[in-house]
Amino acid sequence: MKKTNWLLLVLALVLSMFLAACSGGGDTTEGEGGEGTETEESAEGSEGESTEGETSGDSEQVLNIMESAEIPTMDVSLATDAVAFQWLGSTMDGLYRLGENAEPQPGIAMDHTVSEDGLTWTFNLREDAVWSNGDPVTANDFVYAWQRAVNPDTGSEYGPYMMNGVIANATEVSAGDVPVEELGVTAVDDYTLEVQLAKPVPYFESLTTFGTFLPLHQGFVEEQGDQYALEAESLLSNGPFVMTEWNQGEGWTLSKNEDYWDAENVQLEEINVKVVKDTATGVNLYETDEVDRAGLSAEFVDQYRSSEDFRIEEEPVLFYIKMNQEGSEILGNVNARKAIQRVIDRQSMTDVILNNGSVPGVGDIPANFVFHPETGEDFREINGDLVELNVEEAQELWTTAKEELGIETAELNYLGGDTETSKKMDAYIKDQLEQLEGLTVNVQSVPFQERLDRDTNMDYELQNSGWGPDYIDPNTFLNMWVTDGGNNKTGYSSEEYDSMIERANNELAQEPVERFELFLEAEKLLIQEDAVLAPLFQRASAQLWKPYVKGVIVNPMGPDYNYKNAYIEKQ
Amino acid sequence: MTRYIIQRLVYMIITMFLIATFTFFLMKLLPGTPLSAADKLSEEQRQVVLEKYGLDEPVPVQYFNYMVNLTQGDLGISFQFDNREVTTIIMERIGPSMTLGIQAMVIGTILGMLLGLVSAIYHNGFLDYGSTFIAVIGKSIPSFVFAGMLQYFVGVKLGWFPVALWEGWEYTVLPTVALAIFPIAIAARFMRTEMLEVMGSDYITTAKAKGVNKFGVVFKHGLRNALIPLITVLGPLAIGLMTGTLVIENIFAVPGIGEQFVKAINTNDFPIIMGTTLLIAFLFIFIILVIDLLYGVIDPRIRLAEGE
Amino acid sequence: MDKHNPSKDLFVPVDRAGEDSEKISRPSLSFWQDSFIRLRKNVGAMIGLFVLLFIGFMAIFGPYMNEYDEFGQDLSRAKMPPKVEGLGWLGMDGTLTSVQTAATVEEAQEKALMRFNNQEEFITTTVLTEGGNGQEAEVEAVYDVYGAKNLEENFWFGTDGLGRDLWTRTWMGTRISLYIALLAAAIDMVIGVAYGGISAYYGGRVDNIMQRIIEVLVGIPNLVVVILMILILEPGILSITIALTITGWISMARIIRGQVLKLKNQEFVLASKTLGAQDNRVLRKHLVPNVLGLIIINTMFTIPSAIFFEAFLSFIGLGLPTPIASLGTLIDDGFMSLQIYPHILLFPAIIISLVMIAFNILADGLRDAFDPKMRE
Repeated sequence: MKKTNWLLLVLALVLSMFLAACSGGGDTTEGEGGEGTETEESAEGSEGESTEGETSGDSEQVLNIMESAEIPTMDVSLATDAVAFQWLGSTMDGLYRLGENAEPQPGIAMDHTVSEDGLTWTFNLREDAVWSNGDPVTANDFVYAWQRAVNPDTGSEYGPYMMNGVIANATEVSAGDVPVEELGVTAVDDYTLEVQLAKPVPYFESLTTFGTFLPLHQGFVEEQGDQYALEAESLLSNGPFVMTEWNQGEGWTLSKNEDYWDAENVQLEEINVKVVKDTATGVNLYETDEVDRAGLSAEFVDQYRSSEDFRIEEEPVLFYIKMNQEGSEILGNVNARKAIQRVIDRQSMTDVILNNGSVPGVGDIPANFVFHPETGEDFREINGDLVELNVEEAQELWTTAKEELGIETAELNYLGGDTETSKKMDAYIKDQLEQLEGLTVNVQSVPFQERLDRDTNMDYELQNSGWGPDYIDPNTFLNMWVTDGGNNKTGYSSEEYDSMIERANNELAQEPVERFELFLEAEKLLIQEDAVLAPLFQRASAQLWKPYVKGVIVNPMGPDYNYKNAYIEKQ
Repeated sequence: MTRYIIQRLVYMIITMFLIATFTFFLMKLLPGTPLSAADKLSEEQRQVVLEKYGLDEPVPVQYFNYMVNLTQGDLGISFQFDNREVTTIIMERIGPSMTLGIQAMVIGTILGMLLGLVSAIYHNGFLDYGSTFIAVIGKSIPSFVFAGMLQYFVGVKLGWFPVALWEGWEYTVLPTVALAIFPIAIAARFMRTEMLEVMGSDYITTAKAKGVNKFGVVFKHGLRNALIPLITVLGPLAIGLMTGTLVIENIFAVPGIGEQFVKAINTNDFPIIMGTTLLIAFLFIFIILVIDLLYGVIDPRIRLAEGE
Repeated sequence: MDKHNPSKDLFVPVDRAGEDSEKISRPSLSFWQDSFIRLRKNVGAMIGLFVLLFIGFMAIFGPYMNEYDEFGQDLSRAKMPPKVEGLGWLGMDGTLTSVQTAATVEEAQEKALMRFNNQEEFITTTVLTEGGNGQEAEVEAVYDVYGAKNLEENFWFGTDGLGRDLWTRTWMGTRISLYIALLAAAIDMVIGVAYGGISAYYGGRVDNIMQRIIEVLVGIPNLVVVILMILILEPGILSITIALTITGWISMARIIRGQVLKLKNQEFVLASKTLGAQDNRVLRKHLVPNVLGLIIINTMFTIPSAIFFEAFLSFIGLGLPTPIASLGTLIDDGFMSLQIYPHILLFPAIIISLVMIAFNILADGLRDAFDPKMRE
């Protein structure tokens, strides 16, 4: 140890005093117990090693991982969060499944045809797919599931959110105006599914990989009634894995589904998932080889950066400062907004505060998310950096803004996030913004629900906010800023912008190239000219992965990971 | 006595009713809805979903419905865990919390009292300062720091006990130690003070003069003297520890109820908030009744029933 | 009989010195004088007092002892380790150390260098284990952060994740936390003692109602109340005070009640009442002094709880707005980087522990000093 970590040593001393105090009378028994477990563990360890030695390259196909929250529901129609979609995605196959580079891979659907007008999609389903009770997966299962998702009696949130305005009649059905049978999805025969869209939706293929569009076995769901999907036993799967054990707070276990149509390509025999909410705990479990993956916070990155287990996973999730143009006269001024865009040093923020591979945000479309349909160039590359750090220019813009507004000093309230990192970031952003002469920023941190409320009621001035995609198309990011868009809430209203988004989703829906180029223009208008947002960063997450885990695909949307082709390869 | 207990049980029902009522209306004032994707839904869609769960009705009506169901023992269905019964969730989660709480209380109280005894006997000596130091540090270092260090040094570096998770007896060791710090600190300090009080009294001097073993006398009389403050503090603390603590449960990945309760409040999971509140309140009021009855046992001069 | 004349020799003059022994040679002391003298003799208590005075002094003047201010950020100097000239032997030499293991010494060395961004001229590596024979090589790298960043000035407590000087922040935070400590103690002593005392002393219906009120207050989840307060109140000292006032005194009230229930039927209370003392006088002069020991101890437990409750309030948005620091929030921050930058946690944790230990030892001393039975 030497002088190493002397600070830790002091803490350790304090700690050992406690231990001395705590072990008191129970010392011997506790010691024995401890040794007992240790030997047990090492015995297991050596067993594992010996089997490895004998059959090298054919290691035990068990993956041990953690999840940061419990599964709220395994009911396809009710799922709303990342954990639910992750494990639905692992136990179920939809029409398509996201594969390498976010390319949709065949799932239950082998292929599909789209009509001239882009409104009718016909999916040809495979005939060898079965549910884990042996029944075949048919087109009716999709019809039932989708109808259930928009049926107001189900109380689904994502059903209407994902399907309204996409599938014909979904909006009317979810409002209870027409019966569910009117929903634009029909089973032509057992293995042909026909979907009528409300309008041409160029990204519909990527939508079908999403959890809400998974099929359901009508007979089973109705038989289980309100007990459906509450236990491992009340679940049916048709995907690569089946859930064999599910203890709400502790974790759950998936085993390989031998009846899966593509079972020969599934190598993992078992996935053990534990619910662990604390980052440091996760890292400690990783260090003691209990788990094969752990997420890292900024502090741990410094410690593990040089480790070969260290990986950075880029995510297409953007964070930015929303500026309420209606709620604040100052923010109604475009020069003031531009000044705010230019005054924040994003590079230092991502390097030092986030320190997890996040990159500075420079627009409203993340990098490596969508690509030009012809040249294959990244959207982000083409449009480049729409905002740049330039404090001098920011000061000039700010002075102009102050003159235009006729003010000397300004005070802005900043609605911050409620996590540990966001606290630090809020303090940093306050400091950065206050470089603008005469500006005072008051950081308000409020609980999550209160923040949602304030956003909905537009009761804020500046707000740290983020958005992740629901499907792979620029529309998922750009559509929200149209006048009175459900998630706009900045008071931004531009006829020009509205008409661009409108055109992209209607006239140009069948013209991928023109559509893409129109989105490029729209982003420039949104960020560069109208300065609606001040982009902050594109999130990434730093992870530790045991090097023997291979073949896990990281998805940009829907389930975070695809374990279908994962395997363990110990030397 | 029996009359007094019956009287207290009636009060208990009234108090529980008041707590349920206050909590219900306060909880309904919390911002936001229980919807998990509220920010993505349009106003109309949100209304459709709220209607489905009966949340569109006026709060007094909801309150009335809840109370009617409550009298039939129906605590309702959780929002964050769709369709899961509140009773099931609480039953699943209370076990681990109880285990940890009871273990920590037993170990902590015994060790704390011994520590307090040693302190008092070696008054102002090295052992006294040492035990004061332990008790004070135990209370001054926040539990997450202590738990984090325990996990890192004992779990990772020394490898004596599992770092976290909940898979058997050995998994309870570190969280129990982390929790036991509270009863240790409290028991040690109260014990010490009350002991010192006793040690100055005439009967101890007499006993000592008679040559009776010093430890024996001090312990017997001192303990009796210290019992009243001890049970007053340790009773509610026991309920607190047994119904779970967010920090310890998070750090040691224990599937307990404390963390669940905080999450329910943060996500407006009304049925879980109410169910857990009622459970904790009941246990708390119950322990207060037990303590009040114990007062009379420990010191017969205390008669609470009198003057009713 | 008359023959029996005692000889004069049998008489010895009375030794007048004997009378002196009956004299009260010690000056007559009042209760308070006596207590103070005994307190002064208690070495531990005096050390405690001195430590408290020192920390109080530093909380007032510490922030002005260097040129950094509480909020000044500079990400280029984030997470600097502490450095004090002449205290290098304590580890406060402004270096970071890391031990890396790898199959060979070279690889371990490479990793060690990579750990500190390959700034080779500021890194000294020492090989701890050569490795080989299936054993892994261990290399220790010591990285001179101040040298690498070319900083002339020293940060005595280091800097935090935003490059703010921790010395200044820690002492500024101490101010806030001391205020919270005093406030919590005051609430406890005033509301808690009065409530518990009255409830127990009058007993019967009064006690019944007062205890039911406590039960209801404890029964309603604190977090719900606090979140509702966020909606109404501006974050700041006032809201912390209110939040503390709602439930901070309950444990004290319960303890005092228990003890007064026990004492109120004892002889000295009866005697005092028989002599015509008013309730008020009985409570103040007879009951409260007898529970002083418990009051002191319970206050000692309330204070750290209040300090961390403040940190929790700040975290959820009711306490002090970012970026104002308190010892509680500094510890919250520091905990995140406990394993790699322990200095961020260590100094506030040491101060809070010192304050509490000093308080306790002083309080123990006070208790002894006030206890007439301890009189020598």
